[in-house]
Amino acid sequence: MSAFHIADTGLFVAMGQPSNSRYQAVRGFARRNDVTFVLPERVYEELTVDDPDVEDVPVDTAIDEGWATVAAPLEFSEPVVSRVMDGIQRYIANADDRPADEVERADAALAALAAQHLSAGTATEVYIYTTDIAAGEGAETVLASEGYGDSVTFVNGFRLIEDLVAGDS
Amino acid sequence: MSRTSNRADGDIVRDFLSVADLLEEPQLAQLYAYLAREGEATVQDVMDDLELAQGTAYSYVNRLVDAGVVDVTDDGQPRRYAARPIDLTVTTAAGDREYTITPALIDAVGHRETDADIDTYIERHGVAGLATALTYAVARERGEVTHRLMAEDLDISPLAAEMILQALRPVVHEHYDIEEGGASLDEVNVGDGDTVDDA
Repeated sequence: MSAFHIADTGLFVAMGQPSNSRYQAVRGFARRNDVTFVLPERVYEELTVDDPDVEDVPVDTAIDEGWATVAAPLEFSEPVVSRVMDGIQRYIANADDRPADEVERADAALAALAAQHLSAGTATEVYIYTTDIAAGEGAETVLASEGYGDSVTFVNGFRLIEDLVAGDS
Repeated sequence: MSRTSNRADGDIVRDFLSVADLLEEPQLAQLYAYLAREGEATVQDVMDDLELAQGTAYSYVNRLVDAGVVDVTDDGQPRRYAARPIDLTVTTAAGDREYTITPALIDAVGHRETDADIDTYIERHGVAGLATALTYAVARERGEVTHRLMAEDLDISPLAAEMILQALRPVVHEHYDIEEGGASLDEVNVGDGDTVDDA
């Protein structure tokens, strides 16, 4: 069994700074269990944007510490990757009653990355850590339609962190 | 129009102005939200829980009573105070859009006192902008929208959207009954996933 852990922007925002108990709890979880959080490129770009209105997110610290990494570009030549991209965009558009082409492709990148690894056999189990319920539930639904229903789990980033902090105290 | 209905109209305008004041003053909003949450409280409770000096606590409570958004529920000693429910719907002239000012928005503004992200957001986008963000925060917790869609709609960075959505999340769960979606730690099947000890 090889597990693959895909993290969205919200998980890193929710952890806060390295001095924070939430950051330390997630780092501890990753180290204890040999988990490396993989960030789709688009997620990494979001986290490292230069926005004077918001505090920097220490994603590069996590990468330097070795428990987070940025994924290689998606392989759109794989039919399952594009199918899942389209499926997620339709799912999220439907949840919010808007045209699918308006849905950000980064929302779909989480599930597409999961599909790529499951179909290539480089992972047998995928966890998607996000704070966007629509993206998480969409990933589970669309990947289930591709036959990966038992292999994908949407983990609510907030719930994970609350559990870890409670366990650490 | 009868005199009585004219007076009732006056009450509505008074409520409207009181709510507008609350939205302008985060300390008052914070106190109103506190009373709404506690049900009933004394000035001593307010001083203890919100860490206000006695003079400040009395002055804020009296202003809320004068504004008509807080009632004295027990005139004995010590006096007890309770928040009056606020539910004010504003409709545009064309009648095509309406917005209901709820205790959740007042609570969100009250968080400005203690939350730097909410404070920054109001500085940049005003209380009106915060009201919009709160609408997105409720929709996101319900699984209807993502931080990226909000960012695109409002022309802000996805990171800024995520920050304000996270800052508003406690307010959303305090005021709306929304089940939390997704798995928790127990369902992460790695090593000590369900028996966490110190790192």
